[in-house]
Amino acid sequence: MTGSLSGVATVFRRELATVVRTPGYGVLAVGLLLVVAGLLAAGGGGATGFVPAVVDLLLPTEVLVPLVAVVLGYRALLSDAESGELAVIRTYPVRVGEYVAGVLLARTVALVAVVGVPYALVGGVVWLTAAPDTGIFATHTGVDSPALFVRFLAFVLLLGAAYVSLAAAVSALAASRRSAIALGVLALVAGVLGGDLALLRSLAAGGSPTAIPESIALTPNGAFRGLVFEHVIAVAFAPEGEFVATGRAVASLIVWTLLGAVVSGSALAYGRRVDAAIEEIRGGFGG
Amino acid sequence: MSDEPVAALSGVSRTYGGVSVLESVSLSVDPGVTAVVGPNGSGKSTLLRVLVGATEPTGGEVTLPGATGPKPIGYLPQRVPFREGFTARETLAFYARLVGDDPDAALERVGLGDAGDRRVEALSGGMRRLLGIAQSVLGDPSLVALDEPASGLDPGMRERAFRAAAERADADTAVVVCSHALDLVDEHADRVVLLHRGEVAVAGPLDRLLDEHDAADARELYRVVVGETSALARDEGDGSDGSGSDDDGDETEPAVHVTGVSDR
Repeated sequence: MTGSLSGVATVFRRELATVVRTPGYGVLAVGLLLVVAGLLAAGGGGATGFVPAVVDLLLPTEVLVPLVAVVLGYRALLSDAESGELAVIRTYPVRVGEYVAGVLLARTVALVAVVGVPYALVGGVVWLTAAPDTGIFATHTGVDSPALFVRFLAFVLLLGAAYVSLAAAVSALAASRRSAIALGVLALVAGVLGGDLALLRSLAAGGSPTAIPESIALTPNGAFRGLVFEHVIAVAFAPEGEFVATGRAVASLIVWTLLGAVVSGSALAYGRRVDAAIEEIRGGFGG
Repeated sequence: MSDEPVAALSGVSRTYGGVSVLESVSLSVDPGVTAVVGPNGSGKSTLLRVLVGATEPTGGEVTLPGATGPKPIGYLPQRVPFREGFTARETLAFYARLVGDDPDAALERVGLGDAGDRRVEALSGGMRRLLGIAQSVLGDPSLVALDEPASGLDPGMRERAFRAAAERADADTAVVVCSHALDLVDEHADRVVLLHRGEVAVAGPLDRLLDEHDAADARELYRVVVGETSALARDEGDGSDGSGSDDDGDETEPAVHVTGVSDR
């Protein structure tokens, strides 16, 4: 293994061990399972098939998954910085980028477990219990299928990965646990509501509705919703136009994920210099 | 042995919230044991953090001409920061993997061979410090910086901690130790840097400083130069649990740490 990969792998192992030894994350997964199962039971879509189940879960998922991702990520980079261990780690031959990559990968794997397992279990229950028969793998429009739920799950994890990365960025920028929570909540609200509000404002200001498939893809939630409509729900009927530009939506989720990683790395790499520069400026004004 | 110092600070200053903590500190760190002493709040921990790169100075520069290798610096902060939930061996294994070292050998070196399976939070304060020292010397760094390695320990343990640190010093390795334990400074230090109000009051070989100030030992030197004895009443070893949270050194720094200004 090369030096960089070895550094990433070593940090990844430590971070994953930390996650595994944190009982709260197990509780989080169980809680999510109960909520998702409850939503399906209340909505009744799960008894009918995968597409109705996805319709029931779509909007709650846009809140639940970012929430879980923020819980998983808001202290990811803060804890070592807060305890002073980051200063120790930085005396070792591991670059900031490797450290951030290792932590983010481990937290993303945790997301796959905490979010992916409950959703997969619910999907399994739908497969076993829904009527009419949902055991057909869709090959053409109009047929409900487990593959549609797998697609939905993939989009859910992409959305979650973007929020884990953004939450990690928050944790790198925060100076304390309290500020990390405040920034995390702010990021959550802005992410969940901000895109839709901006879109509504744009339409109210005379923006063209034909631009929606392009502009909706710009935010993580918009991209996720568009992809689910385009590639899961729309399979059940013949839509007149596209809900979202698929390539743009997938790219958007990937870019948000990378953006979080870059902000995290930059905050850790240059935070001390920025801090010293602020002090110098303060000194220039006479303290 | 090279003529170059392992590390050098030139006109280094640092402020927190506009309050000066270090002021125009110029130092040369040579191989051997250098003890940094001074009253609480004199800037010892900040000096060490600047030296290892954990804190960016607001003025001056730090160079490491003689610190080489894949891991040129070893550092133990005043508060031993290891994650709870991990055993001593797992903790060292994480760091050892980054430099290709052997965690078990490192545990043995500081006498923690039998405590490898104990969780970090179950270790006594002294054992945590020894674990921290074991971590700091992994990868054979040329510069080892230890902040209060004997803080909060009983007499036997503080001697053991200090000795474990001092044993690392050789012709190519510099060990810099912040300490209030002036008896251990007498016993182990080759050179002393005495900080007072963020400035270097005196610095040089201990023997020379004792001669110049007509002092019998480091304690008397301290008294002559700083002109006070209050800080000495809180010698290392008087702390409670050895966790390093006993406000024994430059933990006064957070008092001038303002919201929004972080030193990480």
